[in-house]
Amino acid sequence: MPRNSIQPAVGPETTAIRLPRKRMSKWELYSRRFRRNRPAVAGLVIFAVLVLFAVVAPLLARYDHIELDFLNLGEPPSGEHWLGTTSAGNDTFAQVAIGLQRSLMIAVAVSVGTTVISAVVGTAAAYFSGMFERLTLLLIHFLMVVPTFLLLAMFSNDSGGDWRTISLIMILIGWFFPARVIWTMALSLREREYVHAARYMGVPGMKIVLRHMLPNIGSLLVINFTLGVVAAVMIETGLSFLGFGVKIPDVSLGSLIGSGANTITSAPWLFYFPAAALTLLTVSMALVADGLRDAFDPTSAAGGRA
Amino acid sequence: MIVVATNLTYFLAWGFLDPRNNYVGRRPPLSEDQVVQLLQPRNLSDTVSLLERWWNWFSGVIFRWDWGVSPVGQSVNDQVAYRMWVSAELVLGATILATVLGIALGVYTASRQYKIADRIGQATSIITMNINIVVAALGIVLLAIGFNNMVGTTVFFVTGSASPDVTGFFPIIIDALQHLILPTVALVIIGYAGTHFLQRSLLLDNINADYVRTARAKGLTKGQAIRKHALRTSLIPVATQVAFTIPTVFMGAILTESIFGWNGMGRYFLETIAKNDIHGTVAIAAFGAVLTAIGALLADIAVVVLDPRVRVS
Repeated sequence: MPRNSIQPAVGPETTAIRLPRKRMSKWELYSRRFRRNRPAVAGLVIFAVLVLFAVVAPLLARYDHIELDFLNLGEPPSGEHWLGTTSAGNDTFAQVAIGLQRSLMIAVAVSVGTTVISAVVGTAAAYFSGMFERLTLLLIHFLMVVPTFLLLAMFSNDSGGDWRTISLIMILIGWFFPARVIWTMALSLREREYVHAARYMGVPGMKIVLRHMLPNIGSLLVINFTLGVVAAVMIETGLSFLGFGVKIPDVSLGSLIGSGANTITSAPWLFYFPAAALTLLTVSMALVADGLRDAFDPTSAAGGRA
Repeated sequence: MIVVATNLTYFLAWGFLDPRNNYVGRRPPLSEDQVVQLLQPRNLSDTVSLLERWWNWFSGVIFRWDWGVSPVGQSVNDQVAYRMWVSAELVLGATILATVLGIALGVYTASRQYKIADRIGQATSIITMNINIVVAALGIVLLAIGFNNMVGTTVFFVTGSASPDVTGFFPIIIDALQHLILPTVALVIIGYAGTHFLQRSLLLDNINADYVRTARAKGLTKGQAIRKHALRTSLIPVATQVAFTIPTVFMGAILTESIFGWNGMGRYFLETIAKNDIHGTVAIAAFGAVLTAIGALLADIAVVVLDPRVRVS
């Protein structure tokens, strides 16, 4: 789609300045539209800070997240332990940083995986149609009935808490719902002229899917990716909270909240800090997704000049 | 579909859960024969071939509606029959409240688009929708404990679904409410926002439609026109979505139940996996599949009720 043909608002005082200026590129347009959405920018900043924290904080921390300080058991936040310690003597600051890192890694891995699989499967099903499409839809509808959370809990309980296995299972169980949405979107794409043209020029089927159809739902995929991060964080937290996810000595935000929940009245800081990190993470990602949706949507009426 | 999914879960459950593990590390250690003797009558022994175990279980379900027993011999039917209602109490109330609140907020904010009330509503909803249920529930627990301490008596109970020693009709209702209110609030807080956003955007699509203008021209007030004409059209997709979220709410209740100590299906789910209770796990899977089917059915009914163009033949 020729996005860069969209003109800025024309007014008597703007035309004179506008004439010599270069036309806006697609990305310039997107980023402008994104930046005028203040909550989205705030979300992006918060997210960047969180990522920075997850990367840098373990280097700054005075203690390792599995190191036990037997002189400070269950201490509230102090100068020695910035966010307090657990009853076993773990430094909460280091734990939160590592847990955030782990949760982010799982979330990004899962979201990348589900987005890629669902995009390829969804568009391929729409393009190839016929038998392949029917079989794919049958599989998707079947997976929708299967209680996925239960399977997830069984698999990851069995996997012994390795985050890579957990991510892999979450991808396998999470791809089909977005795939169905993408399939509906791609149905109209397959009737477009450029797809017909490519087909009659003899371009192989998979190449049409990857080179011609996928780029045209790119904006949807980007939004799906951000929302997928939120969903993956939520599911991973739930699993780890129940004890089916990441296991000791590895920590994630979910398992930290889970252990903090037991001492919520006597040692509330063990709950506050991971919970705050988790909420900031999901809310900021949701704000970013919202801003991206406005930025990519040509009919968006969110106000202001593009 | 339900039957196939349930049977698949049966085989998967055998792949990941082993009832034999329950007897590992017992003191005094049980001999191989003793373990088999314990498990065989319960149709849980892996000395019998998987196909035969499956047929024993499946024929029991079909012919006697007997979903099997747990490794310690409790009937799955009894467990599910009791726990189902505990969960239903929580899930139904929360779903209804969240839907009503979501629709009301959606209508309110849509008729004031981009005004201050709309902006505040949107901002609140996007935050609450993305708070994790665990954080929301524990936060509410903290607040309730604080409130209880402030008042000096236990107004809100943070664990359990009912107190054991309450008698009389009204005390029981009050007691149930005291237990119910916190988990319901937790579920509503994270659940209403989805309905709010959907209702708002759908109503905005309809609010400037010609037929609403006609209604206004005939002399209805703006509120009447929205409620009687625009709302009805935009309710259809909302009803569909709500019906399909019932299984999701149910799964969300797993976390809520384990935080608030309710003995519902969610708790049962955790116990069956922890105790290698294959029959219980499969029954939960079947229950989830049935809920999905009920959700789909309810969605269809809602569409028929709301959309006059759809006729039931």
